[in-house]
Amino acid sequence: MTAYTERGQGSPWADFLSEQAQVLSIAFFFLVCVVFFAVTTDTFMTLGNQLNVIRQAAPILIVAVAMTFVIITGGIDLSVGSQVALVNAVAAITLAAGLPWPVVVVAMLCFGALIGLGQGWFVAYQGIPAFIVTLAGLSMLRGIALYLTQGYSIPIKGVPGFFALGRGELFGIPVPALIAIAVAILGYVVITSTRYGRQVVAVGSNMEAARRVGMPARWAIASVYVVAGVASALAGLLIAARLGSGSSNAAVGFELQVIAAVVLGGTSLMGGRGTIVGTILGTLTIAVIGNGLILMHISPFFTQIVTGAIILIAIWLNTRIFTANFRFGFARGNRP
Amino acid sequence: MSDRQQENAVAVGSGRVNPARNGTANGGRVPRIALRDIRKNFGSLQALRGVDLDIYPGECLGLVGDNAAGKSTLTKIISGTYIPDDGTMHLDGEPVRFSGPADARRRNIEMVFQDLSLCDHIDVAGNLFLGREVTKGPFLDRKTMLSEARKMLDALEIRIPRLTGKVAQLSGGQRQAIAIARAASFDPKVLIMDEPTSALAVAEVEAVLSLINRVKATGVSVILITHRLQDLFRVCDRIAVMYEGTKVAERSIAETDLEDLVKLIVGEKDER
Repeated sequence: MTAYTERGQGSPWADFLSEQAQVLSIAFFFLVCVVFFAVTTDTFMTLGNQLNVIRQAAPILIVAVAMTFVIITGGIDLSVGSQVALVNAVAAITLAAGLPWPVVVVAMLCFGALIGLGQGWFVAYQGIPAFIVTLAGLSMLRGIALYLTQGYSIPIKGVPGFFALGRGELFGIPVPALIAIAVAILGYVVITSTRYGRQVVAVGSNMEAARRVGMPARWAIASVYVVAGVASALAGLLIAARLGSGSSNAAVGFELQVIAAVVLGGTSLMGGRGTIVGTILGTLTIAVIGNGLILMHISPFFTQIVTGAIILIAIWLNTRIFTANFRFGFARGNRP
Repeated sequence: MSDRQQENAVAVGSGRVNPARNGTANGGRVPRIALRDIRKNFGSLQALRGVDLDIYPGECLGLVGDNAAGKSTLTKIISGTYIPDDGTMHLDGEPVRFSGPADARRRNIEMVFQDLSLCDHIDVAGNLFLGREVTKGPFLDRKTMLSEARKMLDALEIRIPRLTGKVAQLSGGQRQAIAIARAASFDPKVLIMDEPTSALAVAEVEAVLSLINRVKATGVSVILITHRLQDLFRVCDRIAVMYEGTKVAERSIAETDLEDLVKLIVGEKDER
């Protein structure tokens, strides 16, 4: 009586390839970029330059990991750049006011969580689209940062412990990079192996199903904005510590870099599908392209054009070639 | 009709057996779930106008009726999605009032939705344990979930080769089977199925119907909503017909046929 129509089973290897196609393609893309710049420039592969790349990529990677969570739920957070700027500015102001730096760090992380909670409440419990809520956040938070600083850059002086967060090294690796790696590992473990991670994926995959099986669906959605807020605060602190100042003009366009990195890593804007490994590779690809083009003495304005074009091409490859009609030879099938 | 409803009410109070159900071997037992005078309005629309219904353990009740007859509203009330405006509900003789779907699920009332409510991006085992994840410390216990999932599917004779595959890769019948297995495997008392066979191929329908019979054999009360009347005769013990928010008839399967059901559904009240 068990007359199920079963699909023929291909080799597990093919299944693996099609499931991992997104990550594999960005990994391939990343390697191509690395090889290209290694060949065309002398300095790219030097240890100093490599450390510089990961130091600069650290804030993007931290927020991109959180953004992966947000996008997996089917949402988006456009306000991360403004959150970074606001935390950056407020951290500088409070440090200048003489608060001990560990207190400032903890307070800023809580502040980021609070901002995220506010936005998450509007998105999850009030049903306003994430795009709208965080677009408003983008404007308001940057505005608050500008108002607090009156547009000036606020110097941070005499807190070596704080500066170590942005400038220090441990075992020859920059501290921001170490923090970013820790965040990425934490994000990977949480999304793949915890109940909370499973809830985030379920909510993004099928919100109604998650609600029906008794998951705290609304809270899962709200919580990812809290995660993004904390990550933005951390990034803001690292940037302040590296530059030794707080400015309302920090991290302009940061949200676009972060979203580009996440999308480049194969995370679907429709929700449900996404990997931290892809996000890491996406972040590194963008960082390497920016760094490599500068080393090639190409106009920095050109970097933006190239980055944008590469994102478009990579996504195009991902959606048209590496998914439904995935073939090794490109010979069979009527690809559109 | 009104006679039968009165008798229903009496049967609950005194433990007397409703003559209409003599053929279904439910004699003298307490109903698994008993609804009395359930009413529900949506604005000016009277979705349910006083429905009485009993379902017994190990029994499959077919719920039929035209669109907008109130079938879905009634099942959503049983599964806690809607709160009735009026009327009472007894679960195993105890009065209950659900605060929401999670509450109903805690009391072992499970529902298989028409859209299946599966997460395409999560693997088969993950979907079976959706909302009930087994954890070891802070982490998901994948190994236990995989082996338990295999046991759950084996118990219902469902064949899915790769439990780590994403649900999106499965056929319609397999997806349906997973949705039923998820609802049937956690010791449900009442299992409500909304159109489980509507979108399936012939062989898949057969598989799902025999699956329903196996679930029923474990003592679960099954409520089956379907437009495929021929399916009813394969799995149901009783059939309740809804019309415009009321239950117009209740038939044991032995005393009805397709023609009779169609008449009842469209409203030619041909009381036999």
